[in-house]
Amino acid sequence: MSFDAGRRRSLSVSLLGLVLGAGIWEYVGRHTQKSSFASFSATVSALWHMTASGELPRALRSSLELFAAGLGIAIVIGFLLGLVMARIEIVRTGLEPYVAMLYATPMVALIPAILAMFGFEFRAKLIVVVMFGIWPVLINTLEGARSVNPELIEVAKSYRSKELQLWGHVIIPYTLPFTMTGVRQSIARCLIGMIASEFLLSANGLGNLILIYTQRFDTAHVLAAVLSITLLATLLMGIGRGLENYFARWKVGV
Amino acid sequence: MTRHDDGVTLPAAPSAGRIEIDGLAKRFGPLSVFEDINLTIGEREIVSIVGPSGCGKTTMLRCIDGLVKPDGGEVRIDGQRVTTPPRGVAVVFQHFGLFPWKTVFENVAYGLRLSGVPKKQIEASVLRHIELVGLAGFEKAYPYQLSGGMQQRTGLARALATEPQVLLMDEPFASIDAQTREILQFELLRIWESRPTSMVFVTHSIEEAVLMGDRVVVLRGRPSSIHEVIETGLPRPRTREVLSSPRFNEVREHVWSTLMQEAEQAERELQESR
Amino acid sequence: MSAVPQSAPLVRPFVLNPGVRKLAIRIGTGILLLALWEGLVTWLAPSYVARPSGVARVLPRVVSSAEFRSDAKVTVVSVFEGLGIGVVLGVVVGLTMGRLRDVDALLRFYVSSFFAMPLIALVPVMTLWFGYTGTVRLVIVSFGAFLPVCLNVYDGTRKLPAQYVEVADSYHARWWNVWFGIALPASLPYLLAGFRLAAGRALVAAVIAEYLVSLKGLGYFILYDSRTFHQNEAAVAVIALALLGVAINSAAGFATRRLLPWYRPS
Ligand SMILES: Nc1ncnc2c1ncn2[C@@H]1O[C@H](COP(=O)(O)OP(=O)(O)OP(=O)(O)O)[C@@H](O)[C@H]1O
Ligand SMILES: [Mg+2]
Repeated sequence: MSFDAGRRRSLSVSLLGLVLGAGIWEYVGRHTQKSSFASFSATVSALWHMTASGELPRALRSSLELFAAGLGIAIVIGFLLGLVMARIEIVRTGLEPYVAMLYATPMVALIPAILAMFGFEFRAKLIVVVMFGIWPVLINTLEGARSVNPELIEVAKSYRSKELQLWGHVIIPYTLPFTMTGVRQSIARCLIGMIASEFLLSANGLGNLILIYTQRFDTAHVLAAVLSITLLATLLMGIGRGLENYFARWKVGV
Repeated sequence: MTRHDDGVTLPAAPSAGRIEIDGLAKRFGPLSVFEDINLTIGEREIVSIVGPSGCGKTTMLRCIDGLVKPDGGEVRIDGQRVTTPPRGVAVVFQHFGLFPWKTVFENVAYGLRLSGVPKKQIEASVLRHIELVGLAGFEKAYPYQLSGGMQQRTGLARALATEPQVLLMDEPFASIDAQTREILQFELLRIWESRPTSMVFVTHSIEEAVLMGDRVVVLRGRPSSIHEVIETGLPRPRTREVLSSPRFNEVREHVWSTLMQEAEQAERELQESR
Repeated sequence: MSAVPQSAPLVRPFVLNPGVRKLAIRIGTGILLLALWEGLVTWLAPSYVARPSGVARVLPRVVSSAEFRSDAKVTVVSVFEGLGIGVVLGVVVGLTMGRLRDVDALLRFYVSSFFAMPLIALVPVMTLWFGYTGTVRLVIVSFGAFLPVCLNVYDGTRKLPAQYVEVADSYHARWWNVWFGIALPASLPYLLAGFRLAAGRALVAAVIAEYLVSLKGLGYFILYDSRTFHQNEAAVAVIALALLGVAINSAAGFATRRLLPWYRPS
């Protein structure tokens, strides 16, 4: 089988998979109660209605604001703290075990405490999203900045780089691909944080849509909301991967 | 084989061909690697193959073992057309092909395990062959703990452990230092004397090709084909004395000049194309 | 002291053994962090918010209470069940996708979409399918563990160097020899990396399910105690979950070193 024929075959099998999936979804949906599983067509029409009525765009916007603010803060803090930990040995030694521990802790467990301290409005939700997202950026930045080739630092120093120039020309460019790997992981975690905080703190956004339509046993709308979250997540992950590749472009062939 | 009074055995005349290569050709897309290869290798014969890098030596061995399908012609072993790797054929790979998650012992045992040999027998055979290639004591080592030469010897032991009737060797000593290499060459010849097989021996070293082979096949051209087959006519068993015999030097010079002609021609073509 | 040579300084410079120094820094930082927590909460937060002194006070009582123990057991057991199911399915599906192009083409879209999305979004609708039962937790934990394992094993299998397969072929390996004797061991490092991700996701899924479905377990313990202003008690359960996460992670790290002595991360 030639390369192209193989590609074409994969593509058609993929398409077949999509059609088959939609078909099974439709079939199962038509043969179960509407209150437990809506068919594909019902879900698509619910998606259309929610979009046309402005309900979905509003929810999307509210969720995305939370997500973007949380991810942004997580990236900034994670990146800076990662660099500091990489360059200052005593900070790294001191904090490393606690960072590893927080990374392994299921952050959802902290939501009730955050609720108690910060209430359930945007600020509390933002803290939740940041807590979810910060660790991968931090850990990957730390790892990247620590693995800068000492020879490169030597070269920079022999060209009489000042500390700031050393950072700008060597350490940060070398570290960014690692950070971006962390950002991609953080995107996934921030999405979980976003939904979790919308479920457990003040309900708005996409999480709220899921909750209210579940209460109404309206599975078409629930699945439509889930479907739009999936599309959003796939899109965001695609952006994350794109960023990762962009910042790692000099690594090709290394 | 005829035994002479001086204890030297003359090479068996290429008896009934064990490996028959018949009009073999292979292409990769637009690239034609070799064409119209015809060669018959006897039951107890060692045929060396030399040729410039990229001329298709590895690909030819893959065709003989049935790992890739030729685009023309066929290979027969014991009269059977080869389509998948036949029993009784073992390859020593240029890339070693050791499994990094297996110890030396387990790597050498691989072929035997797959053919369902009883455990006891495997252990005895594996230990014997590890010893044979001089790796005793390294049974428990992982490939990353071995030097390139030791890895190559592990690959050799793995092939020998299956006691094949046909051995396909792809530059088996390429990454071994000069002394060890010479030791292993004579070691392999000794093993071959005690258990003669058909062997195809690919190498870049002209000396090695002449030392090992009953015949030396020179590949040339693009797509490459058999340019010349040289009978070495050296006595067996081959000992170190062979290296200083006039015949050895004569054959070596001959192979060398044949290969140089090609190199010069390539150089000329390159100059003309400028 | 006559034994001391003339040139020796009277007071030796104080040099800590590096291991001791590291430990001292870590313990010091720990104390600092706890003090910070205690201070900030005392200063800024209402009195029912958890603080180290309060947690320390309730710790013995909570840990020895039957309720906490049985809740912890339920959560731990369901996380391990889900991880077990997820890992086994993940390995099988991941290997199949990695070795069979058509299966890959058929499933890749679904696996990567579910991997990208926050699975917990499915928990509410799952209560409509499975009722308010532990099944929701088991399914979501298993699925959450399945995805990273599957994708990582798939990745490892796809990156399998062709030369290993060539060797296997030349020794007449059958397909199952290639799958389980070559592809699986070669992707074990990927499997273990996937397992770490899986463990994290499994824990989050279990706690969320317990919150939303009101299932007995550590998550519900936290939720209930926080709502009844027993924040210190809830914090004990949070710490238990953190320790569980650390324990699973360390076990995976230990397994990487013990089971993969051949593995050299490049
Ligand atoms: N799987 C493949 N697909 C495409 N081209 C290939 C493939 N395998 C080999 N080739 C090409 O075929 C030619 C012959 O390769 P081969 O490895 O057989 O050479 P070789 O004589 O063994 O070289 P060397 O002495 O360097 O080992 C080369 O040009 C190589 O690039
Ligand atoms: Mg080759």
